[in-house]
Amino acid sequence: MEYNLEVIDLEKRYQDFHLNHINIKLPKGKIIGFIGENGSGKTTTIKSILNLISYEGNIKIFGKNNKELTKFDREKIGVVLDDSFFSPILNVNDINNLMKKFYQTWNEKFYYETIKEFKIPCNKPLKEFSSGMKMKIKVLCALAHEPKLLILDEPTNGLDPIFRYEIIDLFNKFVSNKENSILMTTHITSDLEHLADEVIFINDGDVILDISKKKIDEEYGIIEIFLEDLKKIKKEDYLKCLKYKNTNFLLLQSREEFKKKYPQLESRKPTLEEVMLLLVKGE
Amino acid sequence: MKTIKGLLLKDLYVFKNFKGNIIFSIVMFLFLITMASMQIDVFTAGSILFLIFFGMNSISTFSYDENADSDKYLLSLPITRKEIVKSKYLFIFLNSFLSIVMGILASLIITLLIRGKVNNVADSLRICFLAFTSVSFLMCANVPCIYKWGVEKGRMQSVIIPALFIFLIGILGGCLLILFPEFYQKIDLIYLFKLSPIICLLLNIFFYSVSYWISYKIFAKKSI
Repeated sequence: MEYNLEVIDLEKRYQDFHLNHINIKLPKGKIIGFIGENGSGKTTTIKSILNLISYEGNIKIFGKNNKELTKFDREKIGVVLDDSFFSPILNVNDINNLMKKFYQTWNEKFYYETIKEFKIPCNKPLKEFSSGMKMKIKVLCALAHEPKLLILDEPTNGLDPIFRYEIIDLFNKFVSNKENSILMTTHITSDLEHLADEVIFINDGDVILDISKKKIDEEYGIIEIFLEDLKKIKKEDYLKCLKYKNTNFLLLQSREEFKKKYPQLESRKPTLEEVMLLLVKGE
Repeated sequence: MKTIKGLLLKDLYVFKNFKGNIIFSIVMFLFLITMASMQIDVFTAGSILFLIFFGMNSISTFSYDENADSDKYLLSLPITRKEIVKSKYLFIFLNSFLSIVMGILASLIITLLIRGKVNNVADSLRICFLAFTSVSFLMCANVPCIYKWGVEKGRMQSVIIPALFIFLIGILGGCLLILFPEFYQKIDLIYLFKLSPIICLLLNIFFYSVSYWISYKIFAKKSI
């Protein structure tokens, strides 16, 4: 299998935080969702991939060490960073003029067509836009130079549900050629429900689950029960348990196995949000 | 080179944002030079004022970059740290250079129109070049501080470090004067002044090269 991105044993130590042996393998044509709460290490991982900070471990992009990438290689990477962009005094036209200088493959036609489609005014400075509008421009900048790998840090932050739907559609089209890939961090897990092929859950610098979305959909389960029913269930038959008000939520590794043991209890497919919540907060 | 042009353009767009203020200031300066020229020859003073007021504006581009955390984004594009630092120095140099050239041209035209002639053009240009070198020194001392501590935190160091340099050079000069008084007696100040363009040129090359090298070393190791 060919990978657009490989993160091998990535480690980064800060005084009060330790990113602990992160491994990511992103094949061509796939989307990986990198999920975790704020401060869990998602952005540190992205910064390491982009070589913005020093780290231990090995990161390969298009099969090459990320420290040895040529300009041509870097032109094939599209990036959205949640907290960083051009100065807010620039407008859409200024950004186009700059990007034309930075990318040989900058597709001006696509840029302006999409700007028109998004109904973004061209002469207004970025500072006058809502955060959602700014995010649209960031996403557009990441796509308009025809990259092969998208690295997106919270790309749906601040977006309304309609645009989130549109953008998810855009990302699905992006990987449909089976050559392009996306690594996307988010804490809005619902965005990944119809997008990700694989999800990696990170908590406090540790990967707590690395699993295909298909496996979650087909095998994992969740069950809501009261305390008296919980007492009947053996600890080894579920992964995590979270008590919320009077109900106990159990995360199951296999709905089928659970059904065989407890036929009277009905389980259902969990959402990614439920999996994340139970993995992080559950016992 | 295309990337450097893009980075210069990015900084130029910052200036575009306060073009109204710049135009107003230029008009005010021209007015002041015109008024002063009616009384005295302000060719040199006018040129230097232009340089000080407009030539040092380029530092503000660092603030805009810092506020938007632009460096992080730029480094995720096909842009290297070396290109970012290089473009900053190029922008600072071009801005200072254009400011002094504009100042000289404006003062020259106004002085010629009002007073009919300019006294000691060569000497005035030498003084302008000396002023340009002083501004280069200040800017070149500032930039590594900004890369090391940021615009806000580096503000104090940006003042202290050049002041410390000047103080040390003063002390050194004083010591040499005490230790080797005959050496100073031999110095021909007029000859040195005549040579000042060459000395200034060499000093400018020295300031920019050393400052660029220090800034790049700081920025190359910096976690963004």
